[in-house]
Amino acid sequence: MFLFFPLSEFWRTLLASIIGLLTLAGIMTRPFRWSEARIAMIGAGTLLLLGLIRPADAVRTLLRDWNTFLFFLGMMGLSALAETAGLFDWLAAQAARFAKQSAARLFLNVFLLGTLITMIFSNDATALILTPVVYVLVTRLRLPVLPYLFACTFIADSASFLLPISNPINVIIISRFPLDLLTFLRLLFLPSLVVITLNIGIFYLLYRKQLRGSFEISHLPTAEKAVKHKAYFRYTLWVLALVAPSYVVASAFQFPLSVVAIAGGLLLLAGALFWKRVTLLEAGKGISWPIFGFIAGMFVVVRAIEDTGLTHKLGKLLLHLSRGTSFGAVMVGTFGSALGTNLINNVPMAVVMNSSLGSIQHAAPAIRNGFVAATMFGCDLGPNLTTVGSLATILWLLILRQRDVDVSGLDYFKVGVMVTPLMLLAGAITIWLCL
Amino acid sequence: MRVLCCLDGTNTQQVSHAAQMFSTAEPLTIALLTVIDAGPRRDMDRTRERFWRPPLRHGPLTDEMQDAERAVSEEVLKAALGDLPQAETLLRQGLPELEIVNAAAEWRADVIFICPRAEYGEPPHIGPRSVGHVARFVLDHAPCPVLLLRPLAGEQFPIRR
Repeated sequence: MFLFFPLSEFWRTLLASIIGLLTLAGIMTRPFRWSEARIAMIGAGTLLLLGLIRPADAVRTLLRDWNTFLFFLGMMGLSALAETAGLFDWLAAQAARFAKQSAARLFLNVFLLGTLITMIFSNDATALILTPVVYVLVTRLRLPVLPYLFACTFIADSASFLLPISNPINVIIISRFPLDLLTFLRLLFLPSLVVITLNIGIFYLLYRKQLRGSFEISHLPTAEKAVKHKAYFRYTLWVLALVAPSYVVASAFQFPLSVVAIAGGLLLLAGALFWKRVTLLEAGKGISWPIFGFIAGMFVVVRAIEDTGLTHKLGKLLLHLSRGTSFGAVMVGTFGSALGTNLINNVPMAVVMNSSLGSIQHAAPAIRNGFVAATMFGCDLGPNLTTVGSLATILWLLILRQRDVDVSGLDYFKVGVMVTPLMLLAGAITIWLCL
Repeated sequence: MRVLCCLDGTNTQQVSHAAQMFSTAEPLTIALLTVIDAGPRRDMDRTRERFWRPPLRHGPLTDEMQDAERAVSEEVLKAALGDLPQAETLLRQGLPELEIVNAAAEWRADVIFICPRAEYGEPPHIGPRSVGHVARFVLDHAPCPVLLLRPLAGEQFPIRR
């Protein structure tokens, strides 16, 4: 199309593969501190300009994944508007109240609250909104901050395969490999419980000394103080009481989850505008717009790689490594995805795996389901290994450490390396048993 | 003598007690230093980066975090001032280990008082790794002598081999 000189199929394949791999490498290393969105868009733009993917194919690819884009939009809108209502502060205050002045019980409550929020709002809300809320709470209560922050950051990933909506990665994968709710729950609910229990148990063991204390009730903020506007807060609770079961029903009937998320977000937006809690501009600021560029870029780049047959070969390799057994499928899917998420972030990894798993469509159901469930599991839980960033970030932190400055990000890495492989293994074995 | 006392929110009594023991040194100038740790905020920003969000800079959440940090730090300083009313107070924000050594250099401290680590209700820790990363960094990088205020842990002795 825009390619001004003819190229043989071999060179087109080679060029598309190089651009695709360079894009993934760029996302991994982020040269010049460029954002992942910019790198993905540059990759996609280059492929389009060189005619290595037809614009019509690119548009078709993006339209095919409309559910993913709208789900991200609805999910971020719901979280941001619920935060405006003071819901997360209120829930955190209640968690502290139920802890009855015990630091250890508050720790457990933070885990349970994180699980609940991840289940309904997705891991995004727990990692980005609950974490600072809990930070304020435990700072006010004069408790050691780090164990509680670790709890929030880790549970965001550990609880993100309880339901299809608990992590947008699940929606990306389910859009390509539909799983009805019962199959999803059969494959991933029990592993979720195992992983969450393991996470809580290990963290209690690690932080038992710091959790021996108690806090004074006088430092506890009142739950009422968290509620900025009573009517809007009540309205938010009603909307969420409607949205949560709607998600379950939509999953059961394989109805697009994005429609529920967008409808819930619009209802909350209408309430927030009515009670003048936000303006449209402020509501827009609650959305991370670059993410759409990033996902769109990734979809186009992976589509171009897919046309070269590279992802098909990766799928065949995964199948070969699994030795055609369901156990192998679960292990290869889990650990392959987990490793990939730590190299190139979980969204690109999920998109690459989606494309690769296309070649196992005709495998036995146990193997196919094993790969699909394990890919979701690995992409969801894998980031806990290097939870404050990719491996590249961790390498950078290690370099900083050489300068003798204690880098707290490395604490996350140390805990992640200790805990995540165990959780991955336990979860993978449970998935295999549930197949 | 200029004494810089590092407060971590759990060691007020220990530091005050040690400073009072030096009260015969004339002229004695004491500064109480508390640092708002920027580490957790940096970690939260890194997590935000992973989710393609800009760092938290302005907004109600940031204001709440700042209010909570400042309120607790001021309370820590106020509590220490109860025991050492003549002391100066220093409130800084950043990585505690860096802020302590830099504050010591700027304030021209003759000695730094610091505890091995913050203790949150657990029994005093003796033995390997009993000195936390902040105290360890200060011991390694301080521009003046450092007095490490170990907790009283007589009940854990004698150490058996």
